[in-house]
Amino acid sequence: MAGDGLWYKDAVIYELHVRGFYDSDGNGAGEFRGLTLKLDYLSDLGVNALWLLPFYPSPLRDDGYDISDYTNIHPAYGTLDDFRMFLDESHRRGIRVITELVLNHTSDQHPWFQQARSSRENPRRDWYVWSDSVERYKQARIIFTDTELSNWAWDPVSKSYYWHRFFSHQPDLNFDNPAVREAAWEVMKFWFEMGVDGLRLDAVPYLVEREGTSCENLPETHDVLKYLRRRADETFSEKMFLAEANQWPRDVRQYFGDGDECHMAFHFPLMPRMFMAIRLEDRKPIVDIFQQTPEIPATCQWGIFLRNHDELTLEMVTDEERDYMYDEFARDTRAKLNLGIRRRLAPLMEGDRRRVELMNGLLMSMPGTPILYYGDEIGMGDNIYLGDRNGVRTPMQWNGGWNAGFSNADPEQLYSPIISNPVYGYQAVNVESQRRYDHSLLSWTKRLIRLRKSSRVFSRGTMEILKPQNHRVLAYIREFGNERVLVVSNLSSQAQAAELDLKRWKGSIPIEMFGGNLFPPIGDLPYLLTLGPYQFYWFRLRRL
Amino acid sequence: MAETSAISEDFLRQLTAVGEVDILVGVPTFNNRDTIERVLSAVQVGLTKYFHRERCVLINPDGGSTDGTPDIFKNASVEDFGMLLTSNPLRTFHRVSAPYHGIPGKETALRTLFTAADLLRAKACAIFSPDSLSITPEWVDSLIRPVYREEYDFVAPVYQRQKFDGLLARGLISPVVASLYGRRVHEPVGSELGLSGRLACHFLESNVWEEDLTTFGLEIWMTTTAIVNQFRLGESFLGPKIHAAKQFGQDVAGTVRQVVGALFRCLDLHQDFWKRREGASEALPLFGFEYKVALEPLRIGKKGVLDTFRSQVEQLVPILESILTPQTLLHLRNVAQLADRDFHYPDELWVKTIYEFAAAHHRSVINRDHLLQALPPLYRGWVGSFILENQKTDAARMDQRIEALGQEFDRWKSYLTDRWEAGTGGER
Repeated sequence: MAGDGLWYKDAVIYELHVRGFYDSDGNGAGEFRGLTLKLDYLSDLGVNALWLLPFYPSPLRDDGYDISDYTNIHPAYGTLDDFRMFLDESHRRGIRVITELVLNHTSDQHPWFQQARSSRENPRRDWYVWSDSVERYKQARIIFTDTELSNWAWDPVSKSYYWHRFFSHQPDLNFDNPAVREAAWEVMKFWFEMGVDGLRLDAVPYLVEREGTSCENLPETHDVLKYLRRRADETFSEKMFLAEANQWPRDVRQYFGDGDECHMAFHFPLMPRMFMAIRLEDRKPIVDIFQQTPEIPATCQWGIFLRNHDELTLEMVTDEERDYMYDEFARDTRAKLNLGIRRRLAPLMEGDRRRVELMNGLLMSMPGTPILYYGDEIGMGDNIYLGDRNGVRTPMQWNGGWNAGFSNADPEQLYSPIISNPVYGYQAVNVESQRRYDHSLLSWTKRLIRLRKSSRVFSRGTMEILKPQNHRVLAYIREFGNERVLVVSNLSSQAQAAELDLKRWKGSIPIEMFGGNLFPPIGDLPYLLTLGPYQFYWFRLRRL
Repeated sequence: MAETSAISEDFLRQLTAVGEVDILVGVPTFNNRDTIERVLSAVQVGLTKYFHRERCVLINPDGGSTDGTPDIFKNASVEDFGMLLTSNPLRTFHRVSAPYHGIPGKETALRTLFTAADLLRAKACAIFSPDSLSITPEWVDSLIRPVYREEYDFVAPVYQRQKFDGLLARGLISPVVASLYGRRVHEPVGSELGLSGRLACHFLESNVWEEDLTTFGLEIWMTTTAIVNQFRLGESFLGPKIHAAKQFGQDVAGTVRQVVGALFRCLDLHQDFWKRREGASEALPLFGFEYKVALEPLRIGKKGVLDTFRSQVEQLVPILESILTPQTLLHLRNVAQLADRDFHYPDELWVKTIYEFAAAHHRSVINRDHLLQALPPLYRGWVGSFILENQKTDAARMDQRIEALGQEFDRWKSYLTDRWEAGTGGER
């Protein structure tokens, strides 16, 4: 697995929850042994990196993002030995492993916090952020607006307030304290030494607080990240930091530093705009956000995605755009959560295979490393009747049999009900049935991933957006070295024609990449293409 | 689908790229470089503010401007109006500018717009004059919303006017339309308009495009056609209407000839409708918040107006004898003898004058151009009288005064009907 160290640029990442993937011991929840058994499926799918949601010991009041022990495995998911075996088996298949690291806060059950709250004199007291008043840091917004009224919570034990940017049971660590930084590094080192390839750094904008600021994206926060990166680079090679910073691109840009902070960061604002563009049948939202996206250091990469384990976040959109998204994608108000929409890809696309394919086609051809969310490769549905974001975290649907092939436990014992409605239920949507047919979404997704990985032009190339007069057509050129790919997508539900100005590539032959067919050579005249509803083309431009 | 030959290949190419739209806004131009930017700004800000989710296109059919108007149109962008925007458009905003074939004029321009509306399957359309100085972004909402949201087909503007502004519309066209067509339209010849896509297609499919009627009287034809074909009509209050400076008397004769000629032609076209129609006229639903601002008084040289009337009535007697009844002509000549202090052109006489002209026009008692040339002097007489009478009348009383005039047109409707088919030539 050696290379130039930029493996994360060429990766196709698959995000999954150990609990929801495969239950091999029949207790109703997935674990590492079960996941290990399904690595061949993931390898066959073509993904070459896995991103695992938190699996640490935790009271599970926030699905594992409330960690109570950073260097162990939650008993429900197995043991450290199970994890080592999973890691080895993944690497044997050429699959890298990215795990979650929630540095901003711990669970209130973490021993560090238990000690900190035990008395004001405890040595761990200063590992968290305390106050006798709620008047500090008033300019910081509340993130979980549906559940929290303040960023301060009263601790009846030590009779003072502690700071939390997320749930009140998740006290924020105090990164102004060098001991906390050192402890964070020790956690990182523990997992890197074991063989983990990358860490998704959860909620990084909130590490440090300063009076009179929003307490987000502060220079001191970047100092912390640079410190951790330096320690990682000094000790290891080919390790990767992926920043979760749900911010505008210009603010996220800071998390790359000069190539000395995070290797990757999610491009949050792109995602809702892809949904908006396909609904509006207009490329404007996508073009606008790319125009607002700054250049990043050569060793860095955006992480792009359609859906993930959270709600479709609408924090990084304007009020008008948010209203539009709610009206179009969350007509059932139960789908709304915080500032977002808790739905999976297929239901958001109203089960329209063409739209699902187009969205994946965009994801795989845009600059950045694509991240697939488990189950979306077969078009899994969701359950908006479950609380919080649990509706998009239901068990993987492996087949049409007992518990969708996910577990042998009694259905009542499962950690979550399986999707069983007539449209997205496991009898209709499952891996087994889709494996049998070349035209299934699963088979199509495999081909798409294979094509994406066939050329570094997608993972490392530049992007130049073309502007045909027809705004329903999104077209761009990806270029890397001597390789050039033209991507043309019809965002509309109706057939469209577009004339592309390709004069610069006059004499080149467009070769359609899915079928390998030659198209007429590019000449002086605008290149006319017609596209069916939601159709897209990837053309390799070959100069003869 | 209607013929598309009214538009050039380049224009068609641009429309193809735009695709289906929800809202089409047209601003026909011909050498309007001094005012087009303001109109364009107001329209774009209005569309962005009120219709930021809709698929919109702004079309500029240009009659061959030589002053750079189309370039100004093409080069402006929504971003240029950033300071004015309270919201951002979600969609691509299309601007299409193209010269149209044929003689420069509103008829060809609107035909081009209607063709575009048909091709793009626009749900709602609005047309704005390129020389409106008082246009605001709210005009866009006022004219389009009733069509787009409330399913109206035709939304006429209601302007706040200085009391002596727009007298041709208020003292002649509007009351005739109300009396004969049964709908009280404040501005039947307004230069701004909202209309549905289906009405645009209906207009486009009409066979009147090759006639003079549409060259000079398109607005009145559209208004009356919409009424006759039972489209859903409404009005929207736009506020004051201030356009590039014009003075009373500046080709008033030409305007009267063209607009009244078009009205008379419409009466011909729609005679089956208005002759059968009975009952009082109805007001149209009015949208928008009605407000008043102080307007600069319109100065009209009364003496010149009256002198022109007096001298021309006598010169025109041989022609007027063919058009008017002896009683009306005699009454008119008596009015022309009155001194300024006593000058008064009674409503009844004015109504009979118009109706007798309309009937004579229908029967072609003399060459229609000659007939229409005889009307402007009489119009000046009525205007002079109206100004003298209402010099101290406030806005509220003015409305009542216009309403009373309308009732007079109503009262004498059968007079027109009787004369419509009555013999040839004026009755002696």
